[in-house]
Amino acid sequence: MILHLLNRSPATGGTVDDALAAMGPDDRLLLIEDGVLGALPAQVARFTGLTGRLFALREDLAARGLLERCEEQANIVDVDGFVTLTEEADKTVSWS
Amino acid sequence: MRYALLVQGAPYSSQASHSALRFAQAVVARGHRLDTVFFYHDGVYNAARLAAPPQDEPHLGDAWRALHNEHGTELLVCIAAALRRGLLDEREASRHGKPGHSVEPPFELTGLGQLVEAGLSHDRLITFSP
Repeated sequence: MILHLLNRSPATGGTVDDALAAMGPDDRLLLIEDGVLGALPAQVARFTGLTGRLFALREDLAARGLLERCEEQANIVDVDGFVTLTEEADKTVSWS
Repeated sequence: MRYALLVQGAPYSSQASHSALRFAQAVVARGHRLDTVFFYHDGVYNAARLAAPPQDEPHLGDAWRALHNEHGTELLVCIAAALRRGLLDEREASRHGKPGHSVEPPFELTGLGQLVEAGLSHDRLITFSP
C-alpha cells in the first residue's frame, strides 16, 4: 500500500488527476497544505471511490479556517496521524 | 523506523519547509529515528547561515540545527543546487575566491549520491515539495 500526498488544491491544474490515475486499489491519499481544499464540499466529489482511504491534515485545515467546513468523506488526521500513515504504508509518493 | 526527509521548497516561498519541519518533530516525538534531511532545489536556502527572520516568526535554520543537536539528524545540502544559489561553505568559498561563506555545520554540502543512499538505507523517505 502506497501513501500519496497531495499539496495542491484540486481546483488548480491536473496534479490531482495524475495522482488519482496512479493510485492502486488499496492506496491512500492524504491532503496537505492547499490540498486540504479538496476536502471541502465543492471539491470532494473528485475523490469518490476513495471511501475510507481519503485523509486531510488537521493542522492545515485549521490554518485555513476550514476545520468545520470539511466533508465527512475525508478522515481528519493530525501530524501524528500523518506519521502513522507513513508507518503503515510501504512507501510515500508526493504530488505537487 | 529510520526516516529521511527530502525538502525541495524555499523557506518563506512555499509551505514545504514548514511542513517538513513539523513532520520531522512529530517523527522524533513518536520515537522514530530521523537520520537524514536532504535539502535540494530551492530547499537549499534552509541552510543559509545569515538568515535573520523576525523574532516572532519560526526560525527554520535554528529549528533544523536543534534537530541535529538533539537527535543527530544529518542536514545534507545538494552542493550543485547550493553553489549556483550562492550557498557556499568555507571550503567552497575559498575555492571560488569568495569573500565569505554562507553555509556552516551542521549543514553539509554533499552530492546527490547521498540522496540515493538515503532512499536505499532508510525505512521511509518523505518528500516535501513546493
